[in-house]
Amino acid sequence: MKRAPLLLRIGVLCYVTALIGAPLVFLFQQAFRRGWGAFWSALHDHAMDEALLLTAKVALIAVPLNVLFGVGVSLWIVRHPSRFSRILDRLVDVPLAISPIIVGLILELAYAQNGWFGPALATLGWHVMFSLPGIVMASIFVSLPLVSRQVIPLLRILGDHQEQTASTLGASPTRVFFTITLRSIAWAVIYGVTLTLARVIGEYGAVLVVSGNIALLTQTLTLNIGANFDNYDAFQGFVGSVVLALMSIAVLLVLSIARQRERRRSEYLA
Amino acid sequence: MSISLNGITKYFGSDLVLSEVSDEVPQGSLTALLGPSGSGKSTLLRVIAGLTTLDAGHVELNGRDVTDVAPRHRNIGFCFQDYAPFRHLSVFDNVAYGLKVQRVPREQRRREVEELLGLVRLEAFADRYPRQLSGGQRQRMALARALAIKPEVLLLDEPFAALDAQVRGELRTWVRNLQRELGITTILVTHDQTEAMEVADRIVILNEGRIEQVGRPDHVYDNPANEFVQGFLGPTTSLDGRTYRPHEIELGLTGDRGLPVRITDVVRLGFEVRVVVEDLDGASSWVQLTHDEARQLEPRIGDTAVVRARSDVLILR
Amino acid sequence: MVYLSLIVMIPLAALLTNACDGGLASFWRAITQTEAIDAIRLTLLCSLSAALLNAVAGTATAWILVRDRFSGQGILNAIIDLPFALPTVVAGVTFYTLYGPLSPVHVNVTGTWIGITIAIMFVTLPFTVRSVQPVLESLTFNAEAAAATLGASSVRVFRTITLPTLMPSILTGTGLAFARAIGEYGSVVFISNNLPYRSEVASSYIYSLSTSGQTNSAASVAVLLLILALVLLGVFNVTATRMARRRA
Repeated sequence: MKRAPLLLRIGVLCYVTALIGAPLVFLFQQAFRRGWGAFWSALHDHAMDEALLLTAKVALIAVPLNVLFGVGVSLWIVRHPSRFSRILDRLVDVPLAISPIIVGLILELAYAQNGWFGPALATLGWHVMFSLPGIVMASIFVSLPLVSRQVIPLLRILGDHQEQTASTLGASPTRVFFTITLRSIAWAVIYGVTLTLARVIGEYGAVLVVSGNIALLTQTLTLNIGANFDNYDAFQGFVGSVVLALMSIAVLLVLSIARQRERRRSEYLA
Repeated sequence: MSISLNGITKYFGSDLVLSEVSDEVPQGSLTALLGPSGSGKSTLLRVIAGLTTLDAGHVELNGRDVTDVAPRHRNIGFCFQDYAPFRHLSVFDNVAYGLKVQRVPREQRRREVEELLGLVRLEAFADRYPRQLSGGQRQRMALARALAIKPEVLLLDEPFAALDAQVRGELRTWVRNLQRELGITTILVTHDQTEAMEVADRIVILNEGRIEQVGRPDHVYDNPANEFVQGFLGPTTSLDGRTYRPHEIELGLTGDRGLPVRITDVVRLGFEVRVVVEDLDGASSWVQLTHDEARQLEPRIGDTAVVRARSDVLILR
Repeated sequence: MVYLSLIVMIPLAALLTNACDGGLASFWRAITQTEAIDAIRLTLLCSLSAALLNAVAGTATAWILVRDRFSGQGILNAIIDLPFALPTVVAGVTFYTLYGPLSPVHVNVTGTWIGITIAIMFVTLPFTVRSVQPVLESLTFNAEAAAATLGASSVRVFRTITLPTLMPSILTGTGLAFARAIGEYGSVVFISNNLPYRSEVASSYIYSLSTSGQTNSAASVAVLLLILALVLLGVFNVTATRMARRRA
């Protein structure tokens, strides 16, 4: 049964085209319907540029932090199994099931001016709500498990014989980590980083609550798009959307390559 | 390099895995650590390598106490049962790894790796990746990689277990010859007694964390120290209070002198014929016959017969 | 560890205490408001429909990705991940424009549960596909071939052999999709129009409560939603594990 029934193939292709393909094409069409000139000038809209800058800043802080955390916690959970690490494993996966609005809400409850730690942090000059730290925290929360969910299963399959062998060959623990451990999980990490980046750049609900959506100050690109639509400037919103859609497509490409590379390496493990 | 093991004891939680294990491994020998699963043989190997800590006892390599020394300073070569290839590196880079750690200059490194690849006959595969190699090839790569750092001791953990029968046989012979040629002290862990007998200069038999017997293969086989060793190294038959191996006994016609038995199976193995018999108490063992003997006696399943020690064996004993 | 607590645990604890701040009574009052019940009912209805539809569509998609050969398969495989990669708000505004008042295909489903369901279907398709795909890939044809030689038609083979084997992964994927769906905001908020009692989803409701200062109520409804999500995930995962265990 090497070929699926033709009807099934057509059915699925129609479904996917209608659900995913058509909106994507439509999106591009809407952004360019006034021509290239209008598109380029819309790209230079002040509010959108500020939003782009903010999004970039957030990504630059949140993504590396989460990658460090993700790799570290994965190694800990797999290489030091205990009841504690099992709890840790579940805990890290929690953000996946929480609505982004709720994420924003709980950060507010904990760290706003009238929240638990708000006043304490304020004395240190740290404001969470309506400012960068809050947006960063929200982004970290929603993308927390994305790296570890890729790395943990791979570490489990790989085992640690490679590392032990390397140490008998004379390598110091640091050297073993960089030349063997990291490199053997490389593609899984890349896959996770890419998903994290996409999630951080694309987060909407959580950032909406935490940032207050103040144009030019605390508005990320996603918030900017939403705001434009609310203000009936659909065209501007679509221009921003195209920027993000292009990012998404780039993400898909990287994911595809990473998936292939990792599979090729693991060919005989299965 | 000679290895000295003194009173090695190891617990995993509350399980005693190794109990007062002591042995002197002579320089240049190939010693097999033989035993059933759970006997502690792999653990002992890892203790010698420093990959597992011990709770009591000492390990000495060439007179130097290495009990508290990290694996990377012990100058040993270790091969895991799964060969643990570095998947992300080519065969060449795998073998070169230890040399790189030692900061051997590139030109010299290249020469040494090529020499090693030639030794294990993997020259053509230098640029391939482990996933493209067969099991036997990966095994040879793992060996070359371990030998690259010129270790004074080679430790192999069930190196042939994952291979199919034919490759296993070829590789066994090849490894034994290589070891003889290089003269490197080697310890090999196995659960297969045939393998140990075929390959090793001396066998250390382990059971439940204790050494049962140490000696040359033929010596241990003919003079087992206790029941366990006897049973483990091969099937035995008890006659007149003494035990004999299948090749030491013969089949006779019913009524003749000897132990009465019933034939339960006849297996023709190409170079020998194995007759499986059962005595009156239900104990089963087998008799090894030559083709001629089998043709003369014509043993059939269900027949009765007798079993006795061969006359030349009795004389020797 | 500090990292984890700072970001995840403390806020979660804050949520729980806040919800209980007014005591059990106020918690109950908040979650039994008509608006709350309507919002949750709508959310559950749309999420369930979308998840179930995608359970079927996702399995079918995984099938033709694994068991079929045609050009463009690679593109299909990559595009399935688009809903993972695309920001929810982008999907939201696109669907609103495509199937709303200015729709070029003259379809207007704003403010209806259909519109919301479509948006959720977009977001959750990858879950089932990526859950079923690896299992399908590691499946050999043996059991199926055996059944065929015993005279079973291909439909019957699918129904009695293949499907039961895939069921655990279908359930896991659907469970994940469902949990994701009930919390979804960015992709549904535009097409839903947010009319209280009519077309407001749970996350929208919580948002409106929090921006109007009713933090306690917001916290209470949020806790309810979280419990729902956890229970759902638990049910789906346990059923999947039981099924898998029975077969092994």
